[in-house]
Amino acid sequence: MADQVTDRAPSDPQPPDGDRRRDPLSMLFQPGAWRIEKRLVVRPWHEFVTLVAALVAAVAIIAGLVLVIGKSPADSFAALYNGAFGTRESTLETLVQATPLILTGLAAAIAFRAGIWNIGGEGQFFAGVMGTWFVYDLWGGLPAPLLFVLMFISAAVAGAAWASVASGLLVRYGTNEILTTVMLNFVILYILSYLLAGPWQSPDTFYYQTQRMADTTYLPRFFSVSRLHWGFAIALLAALVVYWLIRRTTLGYEIRGIGSNVVASRYKGIRVGTVTLATMAISGALAGIAGFGELLGLHHRVQLDIAEGIGFTGIIIALVARLHPLGVIVAAILFGALVNGSTAMQYETGIPKALVFVIEGTTLALVLIAAIVSRYRIRKTG
Amino acid sequence: MTETILAVDRVTKRFPGVIANDAVTVDIRRGEIHCVLGENGAGKTTLADVLYGVYRPDEGTVTLNGEPLELQTPGDAIAAGIGMVHQHFELVPPMSVVENVVIGTSASQWLDLSEVRGRLNEFFRNYDVEIDPDAEVGRLSVGEQQWVEIFKTLYFGVEVLILDEPTAVLTPQGVQELFRILRRMRDEGLTIILITHKLKEVMELSDRVTVLRLGKVVGTVNTADVQMRDLAQMMVGREVLFQFDKERSDPGEPVLEVDGIHLPSVTGRGSLKGLSLTVRAGEVVGLAGVSGNGQNALFDALVGVEKPSSGGIRIGGVDTAELSANRIAQLGVASVPADRIAQGLLMDFKVKENLVLGRHRSNPFSRGGLLNRGAIDGFANKSIEGFDIRTPSASQSTRTLSGGNLQKVIMARELSGEPKLLVAHQPTRGLDISASEYVRRRLLEERDRGAAVLLMSEDLDEIFQLSDRIAVIYDGRIVSKTTPEQADLESLGLSMAGADTVEAGSA
Repeated sequence: MADQVTDRAPSDPQPPDGDRRRDPLSMLFQPGAWRIEKRLVVRPWHEFVTLVAALVAAVAIIAGLVLVIGKSPADSFAALYNGAFGTRESTLETLVQATPLILTGLAAAIAFRAGIWNIGGEGQFFAGVMGTWFVYDLWGGLPAPLLFVLMFISAAVAGAAWASVASGLLVRYGTNEILTTVMLNFVILYILSYLLAGPWQSPDTFYYQTQRMADTTYLPRFFSVSRLHWGFAIALLAALVVYWLIRRTTLGYEIRGIGSNVVASRYKGIRVGTVTLATMAISGALAGIAGFGELLGLHHRVQLDIAEGIGFTGIIIALVARLHPLGVIVAAILFGALVNGSTAMQYETGIPKALVFVIEGTTLALVLIAAIVSRYRIRKTG
Repeated sequence: MTETILAVDRVTKRFPGVIANDAVTVDIRRGEIHCVLGENGAGKTTLADVLYGVYRPDEGTVTLNGEPLELQTPGDAIAAGIGMVHQHFELVPPMSVVENVVIGTSASQWLDLSEVRGRLNEFFRNYDVEIDPDAEVGRLSVGEQQWVEIFKTLYFGVEVLILDEPTAVLTPQGVQELFRILRRMRDEGLTIILITHKLKEVMELSDRVTVLRLGKVVGTVNTADVQMRDLAQMMVGREVLFQFDKERSDPGEPVLEVDGIHLPSVTGRGSLKGLSLTVRAGEVVGLAGVSGNGQNALFDALVGVEKPSSGGIRIGGVDTAELSANRIAQLGVASVPADRIAQGLLMDFKVKENLVLGRHRSNPFSRGGLLNRGAIDGFANKSIEGFDIRTPSASQSTRTLSGGNLQKVIMARELSGEPKLLVAHQPTRGLDISASEYVRRRLLEERDRGAAVLLMSEDLDEIFQLSDRIAVIYDGRIVSKTTPEQADLESLGLSMAGADTVEAGSA
């Protein structure tokens, strides 16, 4: 054997034998150890089991937090549950809370399906509110059915248009849509602030808000005892339409296509720019419709705090639902229940309502972890 | 020379759903070149990764110089004297050769670069390799980068060097140069294990060869005792056709006419500098070349993903240089991309959805903006049967298919429309012998049906086997034209390497 091959200079760096176990990861790979491997096929039940495990873990963590504040987790969860589903009224109120979340959840889900990160649901929600008020302000005297249709269309178009600012920049200049959609949330908020401090401000108040809308523009309610309005039906219908769109139409095929592999889509003739614009328009329109429903179903006047983070919660809901339009309904009701039940929890146990945000964040983190965990399995090696 | 240096004893390695190595027993002798031959999925790379400490065997043992080898990491393998050069280099392009050699060594130690440089120079001189140790690795040719990888392992003083498919990225001349040096290294006492699926290389280089099939050792033989045909049979498990009974072609009208197109470089896709080419109906034109000389750019321009900055492309008489990918496809242009997963398939989609990709907007698969599921299912089932795609069902996720079946999905999709022009880029890359044979036969069938076929390939055997005419692409231009009958491997290799050649043959 030649010298240059076998010779090792004394300075040659070699890991000393004793140092082998420095790397904690290597502990996992000891003989006979448990070993983590990637699954070839992830089956629905793998996902289901990890999802349930994630929710259980979320409950455990939150119970821990409640213990830390010195309250009883059991009492707190009971109060939370009763507040959300305890009576017929509270259940209906949970659905009221879920209504806009279904729509903003769908808005995020359809964009994410296309691989477009629309974080601008909040701004597009505002655009919908403003589009609704714009039509009311202009043609408030029109017969109610016609006015409803015009307000609905205006809300959807306004949401779509606001989303299209970001998608237009993305398609034309390749601008990162995460940045633009986030920034546009602030832009529209400032535009609305200006309008509410000026042209749109109610003359009889110093608050930054519009006049109260006429009773004729209120969305009809399902039951006299609750606030549940037609917006909920619109949201359910929207979920079915989005599901149908994604699964059954050529546009839906292309939306999923560019989300799965934008390069291959381009090679096979899918017009990626056009599909991107269409997807964002639909996404923005859904968020805009959420604004329409909240304004006409609950608030009846435009205020700066009308969104309450509904657009952002929609993102969480879409992710928890694994971007499935019908899953969005379930996730939105779950989050609606949290919002609704937390009021009762605060009232009964004194635990601050803000815990809901902790619950939301914890759930999201764990569900996302579960999505990754479901792709792996643990096996004992010999 | 018969002393065993590395003994692999009944090594079994399982992965979810497969046994990659099933009680593999091999003995590697000191100072030999030992080829591990097998089709894709035969378990070659897994075996190499076990020897290199990437995987631990589930069962069985490996002994080096008579001592049991317990490897936790590749670092342990290097310390024990086993080095490996992977198919994909593990180099840092912006750093110099010297820096790449010392990278990964303990950072806490003070490194004397000049000492490393001196030893590298000594290596290079010894093997007649001209590389500047201070050159930026990213600026070296692929062949030179491979040297850096090899010398990097030698610098650590390994006794056993494992090379995984080292010739995949080289020109014929580059392969000869590599083989010359590997033989030198063997003669100086280094033990070399070469992982390959190329029979020719085994015959030319190795002392002994171990054939793997489906994770099992078929046998270990002295190369001198066997014929190529025997090895092929061991590898595939049946007799293999090396030559197709190819009828003489009867070319018709020009279908594809490329006239002096220029295309500036798009990231990582190469550029075209005045490329001209004609493919007629009923002929296969083989475009030979080392990857990175503009094949990707040409493919992109032909299918309409990139627009040439000047020059013209006519397909069936229609000027397509400015047309969209969708319009070009509608003219009867089918394409098989080089990277089937990145460019050809939606891996999250069902098999049947991929089978209609590109035609999902046209009749009968789409009606009034809705997917016609009946038509899609019917077409998918027909394709799966007609192209022998191995999948449990048409609704199976594409991700679960093997490489050969993925390529069959693409072939089924692209050929179903009876294309006028078929552009196939590396259509058999990474496929095993059986799947390659299938794809090649299909390409010839398309030719016989009257399609114009442009075959871009780095595999010269494939070019010779299928082409009616051969063109060589180098640096974005066609540098020579010939026919399989006139061409010889050496001059073709020289053209591919950019040696000035006189244009031969007619366009």
